[in-house]
Amino acid sequence: MTDTPLDFGDPADLDRLRREFRAWLAEHPLPERQSGEPVPVFLRRWHRLLHSGGWVGLDVPERYGGRGLTALHQVAISDELGACRAPGVPRIGYLAHALLEFGSEEQRLRFLPPMLAGDEVWCQGFSEPGAGSDLAGMSTFAARHDGFYIVRGQKLWTSYAQYSGLCLLLARTDRAVPAHKSISAFVLPLDRPGVTVRPLRAANGDDEFCELFLDDVRLEESERIGVEGVGWALAMTTVSYERNALDTGHISKYGLLVERLRRHAAEHQGSLPDGLLSRIGRCVVDYEVLVAHARRRTAERLAGQVAGPESSVDKLLMTRTEQRLYDTALEVFPAELSGVGGELFGDYLYSRAASVYGGTSQIQRNIIAKRILHLPSNG
Amino acid sequence: MDREEFVLVRDMVRSLATRFGVTSADEVKPSTRTAAQQALDDMGLADLRRTSPPAATAQECALLAEEHGRHPLTTSLLGTVLLAPELLRLLGADTSPGTPTIALTRELRLPGETPTDLVAWDSEGADSALCVTAEGTVTRVELGPAAPSADLVRSVRAVPPDAPVETVGRLAPPDRLRWQSYALVVVTAELVGAAGSLVEQAVEYARFRRQYGQAIGSFQAVQHLLADATVLVEACTSVTRYAAWCLDNEPPERALTAARVAKAEVNSSALEAVYAGTQVFGGIAQTWEHIAHLYLRKVRLGATLLATTDELLAALAVPEVTR
Ligand SMILES: Cc1cc2nc3c(=O)[nH]c(=O)nc-3n(C[C@H](O)[C@H](O)[C@H](O)COP(=O)(O)OP(=O)(O)OC[C@H]3O[C@@H](n4cnc5c(N)ncnc54)[C@H](O)[C@@H]3O)c2cc1C
Repeated sequence: MTDTPLDFGDPADLDRLRREFRAWLAEHPLPERQSGEPVPVFLRRWHRLLHSGGWVGLDVPERYGGRGLTALHQVAISDELGACRAPGVPRIGYLAHALLEFGSEEQRLRFLPPMLAGDEVWCQGFSEPGAGSDLAGMSTFAARHDGFYIVRGQKLWTSYAQYSGLCLLLARTDRAVPAHKSISAFVLPLDRPGVTVRPLRAANGDDEFCELFLDDVRLEESERIGVEGVGWALAMTTVSYERNALDTGHISKYGLLVERLRRHAAEHQGSLPDGLLSRIGRCVVDYEVLVAHARRRTAERLAGQVAGPESSVDKLLMTRTEQRLYDTALEVFPAELSGVGGELFGDYLYSRAASVYGGTSQIQRNIIAKRILHLPSNG
Repeated sequence: MDREEFVLVRDMVRSLATRFGVTSADEVKPSTRTAAQQALDDMGLADLRRTSPPAATAQECALLAEEHGRHPLTTSLLGTVLLAPELLRLLGADTSPGTPTIALTRELRLPGETPTDLVAWDSEGADSALCVTAEGTVTRVELGPAAPSADLVRSVRAVPPDAPVETVGRLAPPDRLRWQSYALVVVTAELVGAAGSLVEQAVEYARFRRQYGQAIGSFQAVQHLLADATVLVEACTSVTRYAAWCLDNEPPERALTAARVAKAEVNSSALEAVYAGTQVFGGIAQTWEHIAHLYLRKVRLGATLLATTDELLAALAVPEVTR
């Protein structure tokens, strides 16, 4: 973490991009979610529309379907989406980074453009029934044969697998060496024989996550990402991007609700119950802090810092923002609690998952203590 | 400044700490204050913000304030080196005698339209204080006797109520906003440095302090306390550095919002981080000799300085600019 001045981008340049984006939005009205349309399906329509305007993967090189700009441009758009009351940006940043960093040139050219375009949807097959926080304890095994692998095991909590075509899969490729050296990463097409996807109902009623059963699934050697045993490093890169609010597109989602709260505050300033104005103010602060933090991280990255354990700080801040925000929103819009509201209560329930997915809050604290503060281990 | 030059200046502030940083409240005496301030003044940093265009960006000044806050220094870097010269620069008052600092109300807020009952805040080495009213008039006031301050390392002087008031100039509305935002950011940056430093000291302590046959830092409860404090310090750092950058690059209204957000975050999070840090020190941090309370005092007082959380949250809850 740098203690010298940081470049947060050229405001004129970023403003130009924002104006360009707003002009585009004015001509491309936001899609409406149809009744009964599952959220992922709706978001995919939105993803494709955004991509058609060139608003996805701004910081991805052009030859892979991006725009070759900087991550600061992506922050500006994410920010703008929230302010324009639009749905969030597609959550592909962390997957794209995994491929950019570990994929072969052939894989990058094959997979990144359709990922950015929303033509191929990915999910993430890391967790297992017996390996959640302790990811290294996974038991899914990919047995190597001549030029291919046979994979057997079970994955759990795989978000949106039922809407996805491809899965970033982690499996052990060697039982003889320690976990951190024996995990490899693969691209698994979910229509491959032997793959069964079974949706699980979430607390908010959505069918977000799934169980994945892998019964002797054949994967080609060319479907392995990076060399054998690099899966752990790839997973760590993926989760460090996944823990940054910018890469996951959460900033715009929060921005949308923060704006809604502020409009309510402006309209009902005189009649708000005691303390509620302060709580709305607190949400504004949390949100702005998160945006400033994402900008700082981005500026540090552009200055050459690689994503590392500090993403655990990002994740905890993101969790703080989300959980306080939705909790406050229910105070501001009590009708949501009686069931006559919209989607807010479901989102509130989902905010409780923020401290679980992507590594629980306790695990983030462990990482900070060990890898940033270098505190001693027990015993 | 280019980066090397900045690093040099920051290291100068850092070196001040090794020579003049106090190691306990007992060392805070008028003679040690004077010697430290003399050393600071000799560095000639008052010119950083005095010229137009300024030699240092607001972001650089905020980083210096952050560095200054990291150490138990009795010097008035904020008042005499960063804040008062900025005011004179905005006024275009090129020639100004002496070394002024800043005057605030006795509650340490920015003064209203007709200020009364002022104190000269951060007054070590100062010979007068500049007061900015809510409508932008800048006056120069004389310094009275030393006034008590809960922040033991900070020098504060009374302003005699009947002393003559000299008008120095008037800030145009955007400049008044710029000044207000700059003051918020510089003060906030110093608190970030203080909180960050105390947490680092607590981490260091947790590495070697042993109980139950092992370092206390190996207990998960202690680790999580320090991890949470680290998250808060990082949040404070990000939001303050970004607010400082806004002063250099964004229009005044946006810069003011960013500065308010930073102050609101730091008011609560820096304090919470300091609480966690002192908790890790256990009993030792509760003594007069240990420097933990110097940090606690600075940050607790800082949380009400210029703007309290309640004031800020109410202002930020309602959108001021519609796109
Ligand atoms: C909404 C949602 C979406 C998800 N999407 C995906 C996905 O797409 N792909 C994927 O692979 N996974 C996904 N996950 C899985 C997620 O990563 C795991 O749930 C998470 O890592 C925790 O694992 P666990 O559920 O097995 O809990 P456990 O690991 O069993 O933890 C239970 C509790 O014990 C605590 N705990 C465990 N170990 C420690 C320790 N060492 N120190 C302190 N406390 C500890 C935890 O913090 C937690 O509170 C998703 C989860 C959710 C909720």
